[in-house]
Amino acid sequence: MRKIIMLTLFLMGITGLINAQEKFTLNGYVKDAQNGEELLNVTVYIDEIQNGVISNSYGFYSITLPAGQYTVHYSFIGFKKFTQKVDLNKDIELNISLDVESSQLEEVVVTGEKEDKNIQSVQMSVNTIDIAQIKKLPSLFGEPGIIKTIQMMPGVISAGEGTSSFFVRGGSADQNLILIDEAPVYDPSHLFGLFSVFNADIIKDAELYKGGIPARYGGRLSSILDVRTRDGNNKKFQGDASIGLLATGIALEGPIKKDKSSYLFSARRSYVDVFARAANQDNLVYFYDINAKLNWRANNKNRFFLSLYTGRDSFEIADSFGFNWGNKTATFRWNHLFNDKLFSNTSLIASNFNYGLELTDPAQGFLWDSSIEEFTFKEDLNYFLTPRFELDFGYHLTYRRFAPGKIAPSDGSIFKENELQHEYALDHALYVGAKQQLSDKLSVTYGVRLSIFQNIGNSNVYLYEDPQDNISPTRTDTLSFGSFEPIKTYVNIEPRASVRYIVNPVTSIKLSYNRMIQNTHLISSGTIPLPFNTWAPSSYYLKPQVADQVAFGFFKNFKDNMYELSAETYYKTFENVTDFADNAQIFFNDDLSTEYRQGISEAYGLELMLKKNKGDLNGFVSYTISRADRTIEGVNLGRTFVANHDRRHSFNVIATYDYTDKWTFGGSFTYGTGKPTTIPSGSYQWGDGYIPDVITERNGYRLDAFHRMDLSATLTPRKNKGRKWQSNWVFALYNAYSRKNPFTLYTQVAQTDDGDIIGDGTVKEAKMIYLFPILPSITYNIKF
Amino acid sequence: MKNFNTILFLAFIGTFLMSCQETVELDIKDFEQQVVVEGLITNSDLNFIKLSKSREFYDSGASEKVTNATVVVTVNGEDNVFVHNPDADPLLNGVYLPPAGFTPVIGNTYHLSAIVDGEEYEAEEILLPVTTIDSLTVRLDEEEIQEPEVEGRFYEVLFYAQEPQDRIDHYLFKFYRNDSIVKDSNEDIYFSEDKFLGEEIDELPIASYYAIGDTVKVEMYSLTRESYVYYADIFNLINSDGGMFSPPPANPRNNISNDGLGFFQVSAIDTETIIVEDSGN
Repeated sequence: MRKIIMLTLFLMGITGLINAQEKFTLNGYVKDAQNGEELLNVTVYIDEIQNGVISNSYGFYSITLPAGQYTVHYSFIGFKKFTQKVDLNKDIELNISLDVESSQLEEVVVTGEKEDKNIQSVQMSVNTIDIAQIKKLPSLFGEPGIIKTIQMMPGVISAGEGTSSFFVRGGSADQNLILIDEAPVYDPSHLFGLFSVFNADIIKDAELYKGGIPARYGGRLSSILDVRTRDGNNKKFQGDASIGLLATGIALEGPIKKDKSSYLFSARRSYVDVFARAANQDNLVYFYDINAKLNWRANNKNRFFLSLYTGRDSFEIADSFGFNWGNKTATFRWNHLFNDKLFSNTSLIASNFNYGLELTDPAQGFLWDSSIEEFTFKEDLNYFLTPRFELDFGYHLTYRRFAPGKIAPSDGSIFKENELQHEYALDHALYVGAKQQLSDKLSVTYGVRLSIFQNIGNSNVYLYEDPQDNISPTRTDTLSFGSFEPIKTYVNIEPRASVRYIVNPVTSIKLSYNRMIQNTHLISSGTIPLPFNTWAPSSYYLKPQVADQVAFGFFKNFKDNMYELSAETYYKTFENVTDFADNAQIFFNDDLSTEYRQGISEAYGLELMLKKNKGDLNGFVSYTISRADRTIEGVNLGRTFVANHDRRHSFNVIATYDYTDKWTFGGSFTYGTGKPTTIPSGSYQWGDGYIPDVITERNGYRLDAFHRMDLSATLTPRKNKGRKWQSNWVFALYNAYSRKNPFTLYTQVAQTDDGDIIGDGTVKEAKMIYLFPILPSITYNIKF
Repeated sequence: MKNFNTILFLAFIGTFLMSCQETVELDIKDFEQQVVVEGLITNSDLNFIKLSKSREFYDSGASEKVTNATVVVTVNGEDNVFVHNPDADPLLNGVYLPPAGFTPVIGNTYHLSAIVDGEEYEAEEILLPVTTIDSLTVRLDEEEIQEPEVEGRFYEVLFYAQEPQDRIDHYLFKFYRNDSIVKDSNEDIYFSEDKFLGEEIDELPIASYYAIGDTVKVEMYSLTRESYVYYADIFNLINSDGGMFSPPPANPRNNISNDGLGFFQVSAIDTETIIVEDSGN
């Protein structure tokens, strides 16, 4: 009898134990209480398991635990921490709204970082852009600069003035993938780099990955800049206007159906051309851009988003020459919850970059245009298995069409119509990545991305007697391929791995390895991509570029996470880096493949950064020492040369100071080693008065160092408090001590600015061009 | 008249003339002197080989001429010895002229051998045909007459020709006002390939403006592909912006062996002249 009772009790006990092992999922979205925006990277921490998860790029979190009582903390910098006690005896959906910390009610502070994220996170080599901080920084003409701030981060080097391009860890400007709501942007500059395509008023989050790049990203060798726009206030109508000396912008947003759907619309235009036309000035330049976003939360399992962007720059010289360029993107996204742990994002993306050049002349007039277009389907899945193991995997397919150039002559022009053949590509990527916590101190992420790239028809491939003869290319045969017929297929595997070891709660070390493949090549041989350079796919003659990077980092926080110190060192090798033969003719060349020269590159560096996150004085100091060089057959006679984008030292300081309720000051200082340049070793006389230089070594000389200080002051009138209409004034000084930063250096026969020869015409001189002297600006911002 | 690619190139570089510039001194090292060859063989009486040396970047005055070289141009197995400055003309130092009876014709290949200080520099080119200039006309330029850069010079000279569409041609143009070379700017070279040219070349203005009474001469040379590439490279080099937007400066691809600079050009030439008269419009 006793045995039976014991057995029954035992069985009941076991059943009880089994029941106790049953797991339930707590999931939901974390939002900003004020405007309903989903918050990315919120920490969801559970006391009882001393662990937690982070909300994903769409604000979704999911955590699966055994049944029981839990204390859940939701925390995010700039917001009040929220704690909820949960009785997890079934699957629970818990959507949380976080309130902003009261001292900063004037501005929505979206920083996207947990206090000790830099220690805890396995992700290294990433810089998150603090949007709120950017707005306090000195900006050119009052326009907060996302790209300008990115250019100050360790490991990132500005390409100089006149452009928004930047170089990351020894990579050239074309090796950065710039995404706005997942759509690629091919040229991020407006107005010669004075503005960028990113309107800080509508950006929610911006992350720059320089190393340890997660498996879900690919396509470029050196960095991924992932910028996401806000969804729009779904609680009440809101407007922002910014009126500056050069440009004006307005942003409007509000709910379509409160808490369910909202819209966001913003537009900017510069108007210096309006005044110039009135003043009869000959050279005009202007830009505009428009962003629009719609989102709809159909139900708790389905959300839909639509974002659109279009922007244009236009430049005219004296009614005779004009060129314009711009990006257009559209993204449609569907977030779907398959179950409590499996989150899916399906995106359809379209992107177009085109430019046009027009010469108005009765005899030599023409219109030249070129474009690149792509359509992408993406399916990304996040699987939150356990708090210690998260999986993400997906499939991306992109179709690209390259139209490198078409000339249309104007009436009576001596030119005839001509078009370079189009090229097409299909780019497949399959990836799987895992984030795993092995122990309290050790976490890893690992993954792999499979890239299958196909160059397809409808197009012709020319075979040459000598494929590298770029003087007199002789075609021996033409291979014809029909629509979608594969011409060349490249399969590559990109492994990615990172390890993080926590030494103590304020110290960690990280190590990462990644391989990146790039199949879209910029056809440009200058240092800075012109707005009218073209892109080409990997093809019969152009092999995919490959980069392997190893990075090691040390991270330490001080004084209760007030100070963050990071030190990272990296080593990168590149294969098939695309460059061009000396004297390459890259414009309108039917035999362009004869100019391609692919070779190797090597880059390494040390990056140091000290950041202060709390208090009235905030900011960071960064220093990078690095080297990048290239060795390519057919370039510089096959000898190793310093890369155009090499800048030995780079030192940056950014600081903002909240002086009083009314005044905030911002400042930035940047210092960089001069750009390498090619100078002559001598000259000679030839022909009718021409004095060409003798060139001995590419990039053997350095221009003077680049340094600049910018200052700004923001005045928020006291009467703002409690009023519906809030405003502030921003006073900024760009290049405060008017440093003449060398932009480029060229040589010529000594002459005056008007072209009159000085002396007997036999003397040569070197001229340095610099772009912007001190530029003051005032901007007035209104929020309503 | 400019090459399509050069128009693009200049247009963009031109935008940076709106920026600020200043002269800087360069600290130049590694100079090694080289021989410079400037050779021209045409199917007219314009034939010469000029030899000089390269020099330090900041040197001034005329460059050092080579006066004691052995220069021979061979065609169809026949050697033609070019003599240095046969009439001892002070303006022709370093210039080697052909012997009497040297008459180049279309279709022949010419080989140059120049021996300077024991080193031989060689080159070879074929003489290709050139089409003819149909005519030149004169036209008053309405805008230039308002504010002429030089007083009296507000006439344009227009060029007419038919570009043969059935063969590949490359051209070089030179313009003269009263026997002096004319260029819009010091670094201009007027050359073109025919890839983008249609058949009718009509009313194409040549460089600069002219005054009544000026004798305007237009020379049109045929270029081989190699010569065209050399002119394109030289043009890019002397108009370079230092490699910011343009490709980094590099030595032109030339046809002189043994690290010689310069080029041995062999061309057919067509010339047309007009005297500027007021046509009464």
